[in-house]
Amino acid sequence: MFRIIKKSLKIGVVTGRYQKADRAAVPVPTEAKDKTRPFKRSLAIREVDTGSCNACEMEMNALLNPVYDAERFGIHIAASPRHADALVVTGPVTVNMERALKDVHRQTPDPKIVIALGDCAINCGLFKGSYAVTGPVDRHIPVDVRIAGCPPRPAEILEALSELRGNG
Amino acid sequence: MTKTEFSDDLLTTAFPGILKNHPICTQSSHFVVPKDLVPAITHYIHTQPSLRGRLTLLWACDYRPVRETYGLYYLFTLERSHHWVVLSTETAGTDRLFPSITPHLHAAQWYEREIRDMFGLIPQGHPDLRRLVRHEHWRKGTHPLRKDFSWDATLGRQQGEHHFRHIEGEGVFEVPVGPIHAGIIESGHFRFSVAGEPIMQLELRHFWKHRGVEKLFEQQLLIEAVPLAERVSGDTTVGHALTYCQAVEALLHLEVPRRAKYLRALFLELERLYNHLGDIGAMCNDTAYALAHAHCGRMKEQIMQLNDRFTGSRFLRGVIQVGGVTRDIENTQLTKIVEELNQIQQDFSEVEAIILGNASLTDRLETTGILNEQTAWDHAVIGIVGRASGMNYDLRRDRPFAAYDELPVNVALYRYGDARARLRVRGDEIHESIRLIREMRDKIPGGPIADQPSSSPNPGDWTLAAVEGWRGEILYMVMAGEDGRIHRCKVRDPSFVNWPAIQWAVLGNIIPDFPLINKSFNLSYAGNDL
Ligand code: SF4
Repeated sequence: MFRIIKKSLKIGVVTGRYQKADRAAVPVPTEAKDKTRPFKRSLAIREVDTGSCNACEMEMNALLNPVYDAERFGIHIAASPRHADALVVTGPVTVNMERALKDVHRQTPDPKIVIALGDCAINCGLFKGSYAVTGPVDRHIPVDVRIAGCPPRPAEILEALSELRGNG
Repeated sequence: MTKTEFSDDLLTTAFPGILKNHPICTQSSHFVVPKDLVPAITHYIHTQPSLRGRLTLLWACDYRPVRETYGLYYLFTLERSHHWVVLSTETAGTDRLFPSITPHLHAAQWYEREIRDMFGLIPQGHPDLRRLVRHEHWRKGTHPLRKDFSWDATLGRQQGEHHFRHIEGEGVFEVPVGPIHAGIIESGHFRFSVAGEPIMQLELRHFWKHRGVEKLFEQQLLIEAVPLAERVSGDTTVGHALTYCQAVEALLHLEVPRRAKYLRALFLELERLYNHLGDIGAMCNDTAYALAHAHCGRMKEQIMQLNDRFTGSRFLRGVIQVGGVTRDIENTQLTKIVEELNQIQQDFSEVEAIILGNASLTDRLETTGILNEQTAWDHAVIGIVGRASGMNYDLRRDRPFAAYDELPVNVALYRYGDARARLRVRGDEIHESIRLIREMRDKIPGGPIADQPSSSPNPGDWTLAAVEGWRGEILYMVMAGEDGRIHRCKVRDPSFVNWPAIQWAVLGNIIPDFPLINKSFNLSYAGNDL
């Protein structure tokens, strides 16, 4: 018990030890910002994987490590869509996940925003056209913010999310 | 390790009906066998004490329209010599049946169901013919890997429902979980049958994320498909890209320069490092040991940032190419990497000592999710999960690729098969990887980092390649088509083999321990679903 605390004290604070992203690289539309106004300064996110290669998930997970520590900005992950303000969708939408995505979207209470994370979610990336893919996320549900990259770096995701909260 | 050589005569004398064919690569044999002899021969290879063949891959190939047949291929790895034995057989004309080997070889179960879904060939005598890849809403008669199925077809929908196995009795109830989970993880469905707390049965329902990867490969040129291989499973970017490239290089008779081989091994070990660190942290997190999780997450991030600094990609994307690597790491840079890794190793050793000394963590991990040696063998379990259950395989040692012929690997091996053993395998491999990278720095030769492809392969040529990725054995079978295209590419992530085994490891455990057991396996959904 004491050893791990001692170790933590020895390491010190690592939060913020990353190269900041360029704000211009992750444009957030003003309409999306208006839509998030009711959430004030916190944002509860539900992540939905609709067929990603799992690198996008890994970068979302990285946001929670002590280096990025997204919780310090009031960004946290909700365990259920019913508790979420925002849906983050990764991956092209596969035929098998299409229904699940629509269900989750319906179950998320309004007002809500949808963030398409990664090239796959935005335009299907390399999987475009495949018989097993039914198109980018915005073919099935309205998308408010697009974060491009394959995968986008955590710093970029964090930048876009902070911008959404309007005080980044 | 003593190597007993496998002699082809052993099989040809035991089964006079089979024909010897040209081996497809070094350390391998290839036999053409009549279809109805397949069950007997596979049973013999699997059970004969001097062979003990482990089913390593089973795939099919559609030869139409050139020839009106489907080919079926069985790959076994022999226990002691690590020799590969390939059996091939064909269906003739309109015959859509082939004999199932699942009744005596559990490991074939998913492969045969996959072949049925993708090709419409029917494994006769298979005990479970429910759909696997095709969910029930896919129209009847949809078999995407048939050559007459267009890659960009639109699938129609039909009504249909998946039938789970039910356990009936007083107090037995079912808990469905997924496909969308509470944390940030991939999509998959788990169906538990429980009575009180203990799990009586777990059934997996995967393939939600099926993206048609193998069909997409068939639309590409051999030398251009590396980005697709990198995206089969993002956390194994290097592993998949490397296996794919090795297969293509074998087809094109390319000699990869030695320096490139060392750099490939370096990238593979860096990938192993960040994943293992992340996994150990995630296992601590699932036992509510948040501080240890934070430390591991910090070290994982440190390695990913290191990757980014030296290669421009946190996941090492775009560094492997057909013929070599795209980026050189100068020797001075290599020294910097080693310095940083030494410091991380020091750091990790301290955290590891704290984690392993923690009594409440040990209590959660020990005897949780035991996968015993027999079950592991029956399901041909590989990789970290296998090595925690006494399956002593590691391709880096057994069938060296890249620069591992000059870099002997000490393989971590445990026998208890519980969550703690899986954590220990990862811990040991972290130290071993860093040691290997130090050795690479001392041994790496100078010279070019890539060779240019000049020839093009004959249509119909095929080969196999295998790499020990961080999860385990990754396999690619690549068959060349016309004009430098791909006729067929079979991708096998270790997850596909290890997923069914988790159904056995959870029995008797309580549902709250499932996330921990699942994390200790940490299998890829994307790599499994393809
Ligand atoms: S955008 Fe790239 S990293 Fe993200 S899921 Fe798609 S292929 Fe993977």
